[in-house]
Amino acid sequence: MEGVLSITSLLFFPGGLFVVLLGLFYEWIDRKIIARLQNRIGPRWFQPFADTLKLLAKEEVVPTGVNPVLFIGLPLVALAGALTAALYVPMAGIRPSFSFPGDLIVTVYMLSLLTLCTGLAGAHTPDRFSLIGATRGLTQLFAYEAPFLLALLGPAMIAGSWQIHDINQYAQTHLWFMLTQPIGFIVALIGLMGKLELPPFDSPEAETEIVAGALTEYSGRGLAIFHLGKGVELVIGLTLITAFYMGGLGNPIYFLLKTVGVLMVLAGLQSLMTRLRIDQTVGMWWRYGAVLVLAQWLVLYVLQLV
Amino acid sequence: MKIATMLGDVWQSIWQRPITQKYPFERLEAPVRLRGKLHWNPEKCTGCALCNKDCPANAIEIITVDKKEKRFVMKYHMDRCTYCAQCVESCRFSCIEMSDEEWELAATDKTPFTVTYGTENDLREFMAKFADANITTPAS
Amino acid sequence: MTTIPMPTKEKFIVPIGPQHPALKEPGHFEFAVDGEIVTDATVRLGYVHRGIEKAAEARNWTQNLYLVERICGICSHIHALTYSLGVEKLAEVEVPRRAQAIRVLVAELERVHSHLLWFGVAAHEAGFDTLFMYSWRDRETIMDILEALTGNRVNYSANVLGGVKFDVSPEQCKVILTGIDFLEERTRHYLNVATSDSMFLQRTRGIGITRLRDAQRLGIVGPTARASGVIRDVRVDAPYAAYDEFPVQMVVETAGDLEARFVVRLKELFESFRLIREILANLPAGDLQVKRFPRKIKAGEVISRVEAPRGEVFYYIRSTGGEQPDRLKVRTPTLCNMASVLSLSIGHHLADVPMLLVGIDPCFSCNDRGVTISGNEGNGRWTWERLRQFGIDYYARKV
Ligand code: SF4
Ligand code: SF4
Repeated sequence: MEGVLSITSLLFFPGGLFVVLLGLFYEWIDRKIIARLQNRIGPRWFQPFADTLKLLAKEEVVPTGVNPVLFIGLPLVALAGALTAALYVPMAGIRPSFSFPGDLIVTVYMLSLLTLCTGLAGAHTPDRFSLIGATRGLTQLFAYEAPFLLALLGPAMIAGSWQIHDINQYAQTHLWFMLTQPIGFIVALIGLMGKLELPPFDSPEAETEIVAGALTEYSGRGLAIFHLGKGVELVIGLTLITAFYMGGLGNPIYFLLKTVGVLMVLAGLQSLMTRLRIDQTVGMWWRYGAVLVLAQWLVLYVLQLV
Repeated sequence: MKIATMLGDVWQSIWQRPITQKYPFERLEAPVRLRGKLHWNPEKCTGCALCNKDCPANAIEIITVDKKEKRFVMKYHMDRCTYCAQCVESCRFSCIEMSDEEWELAATDKTPFTVTYGTENDLREFMAKFADANITTPAS
Repeated sequence: MTTIPMPTKEKFIVPIGPQHPALKEPGHFEFAVDGEIVTDATVRLGYVHRGIEKAAEARNWTQNLYLVERICGICSHIHALTYSLGVEKLAEVEVPRRAQAIRVLVAELERVHSHLLWFGVAAHEAGFDTLFMYSWRDRETIMDILEALTGNRVNYSANVLGGVKFDVSPEQCKVILTGIDFLEERTRHYLNVATSDSMFLQRTRGIGITRLRDAQRLGIVGPTARASGVIRDVRVDAPYAAYDEFPVQMVVETAGDLEARFVVRLKELFESFRLIREILANLPAGDLQVKRFPRKIKAGEVISRVEAPRGEVFYYIRSTGGEQPDRLKVRTPTLCNMASVLSLSIGHHLADVPMLLVGIDPCFSCNDRGVTISGNEGNGRWTWERLRQFGIDYYARKV
């Protein structure tokens, strides 16, 4: 029985298929909202599914000069990392399937695996756009990673646990952290945008400069899998933020309402901003992001002492 | 120094219908002046062939059926025409005008785009004369 | 002259084009980068060379009107206008005032459409897609006006030799005026965005500064030059068509950076709106065309200059008395401005390069022309002296 349950949670719910589909669905919501904000119609609901299906059916052209195992393996590792992370978060508002003290750190780093894999995939293809995209992606990773993690650790500190489930429980019974730690919330939100390489932090894949960035050489299945990974990351990121900062996730209805709400805010932000250059992104994160969260940390620390 | 200067537009769009036209399902009416398919009036034509000479795309052929009686047939290649309306200007006898119809020139085959104009009589004669010259069935 | 260092083999070169999302038309650029900083730049043009100048020699004067109209898809009217002004001068035909005014009207409407198009593209290159979508949505107004007025959205074919094809009816006047009112309000908004949105300014302010001296030395034309303080606008310097009757105010900025180019182009829109209103209010009475335009044009040569949305368009037309031109030479503004992109991009971030490129409002297919250099001179970069000497020798041989 135990075994069957584990397999189900790995392959179907809440890991596996469910998150993948949910990721595609959220991607559609994102695209639709942005389109509406730009006074366009936007895609129909099945567009992301159709895109993915099409890509999955396409032949993967492995460019000369790359290691084929690495080239095909990296997207799989990236998706696996993202799916693993899904097991530790209160997906759809229910209890995480796996939980252990300190799983917050593991989850956040599992999410970074995607960026890392994308970076590696770009760096080991001999294509210049991929290389530049990879460099930018990794540079950006170092910029937002620390502030993002610190922003998530704020609630953890108050809840007194580094276990996502515990923090979620704590958040459900207390005032929303969004109100008590507004700086952390904003940094986490913007950090998520950086993590997902959404505008204005999309310089690693700025199409007008470097085509598709690190993934320029990916054309078929690999691209689809990276894409799915990104969708999963979007869902997990939203889950984490809502679970921590917006009063926790107790049931599926709250989950849907809160995550879609945050997604709407993200879409609004995306449509209002101009792409930053990579030096501006890094400068912004270290000059403002990091300093702000550190300040908040200091405040929290002092408050806990007294 | 401001941020989010486009907020007003974005906010309006939330309450507005998208501006996108659902083109093949909803068609806007073409403006009256749209330069579309050409129409030719054989009555007044003198066969000067100025229209043919000035057409930048060689889209017009004026074919003589009977020179003395001033009977001509016009073969018009819609697929070559650039809809510049120079022929309308060039014709001193106002035989040619451009209509606002047929601006969706897409087909799997080019034959419908060759249009032969003329009076019924002339067309019949023309067809008989050039039957072997592999000429497509005249439309209109 | 900024000396452009010769490329060495070990450099990391980022090729942009011939097919690249930043370029809407094919061109090939090679940027050597050191990290994110561009250290060297070269360009190769000519992917869309269509041999129009040569083709013009095989068509009669009237047919060429429509051939030159297709040199550029955005400023189609400007090319036809330049050509007809030249040919009319050559044929010594006086074009009715009303026709000239309508020509200017269409030219200004076209300028509005072209600048708005550019604005959207520039916003897109900067990664501000919302601005791009909105400016193109508003541009649709002007496209509809042009379509209703001329009968086509792109190749208006408003000109005939010796006049124009259509008149402006009072109802159309009203439609144009409403459209213009709406666009004026929108343009004011866009000017506000381009000069105050701090995120957008990060990508434009202080980027790609071209000093007046450099602008003059590189021979930059059009709004790009006026953004650097060059006081040059053919509409003002040598009024053609009806610009003597409806004078324009030149818009000049001195900062020379990308922001100034935005400001110049957007402010030019206000000038265009004002002009359009003025023309509609005071349309001179008269015919639309001359009675007869000669089919053969007597021998002679003429130059014709017009201010296109991107800068000065220059035509040289020579006739030997036949039905066809003997030579037609076209110089489009992008060709003059291209050199500035190369010298500017050195020292800038790679991320700024698309912005710099779009800053001159490039139009590749109108600037592409073929030059064949035969002989064993070898490829590579030519110095100015060598190019000049080659030109002198070439014409010395030819004579
Ligand atoms: S509209 Fe222009 S291209 Fe078409 S037939 Fe007339 S002259 Fe030729
Ligand atoms: S120009 Fe007019 S009159 Fe002359 S051939 Fe053409 S249609 Fe006939």
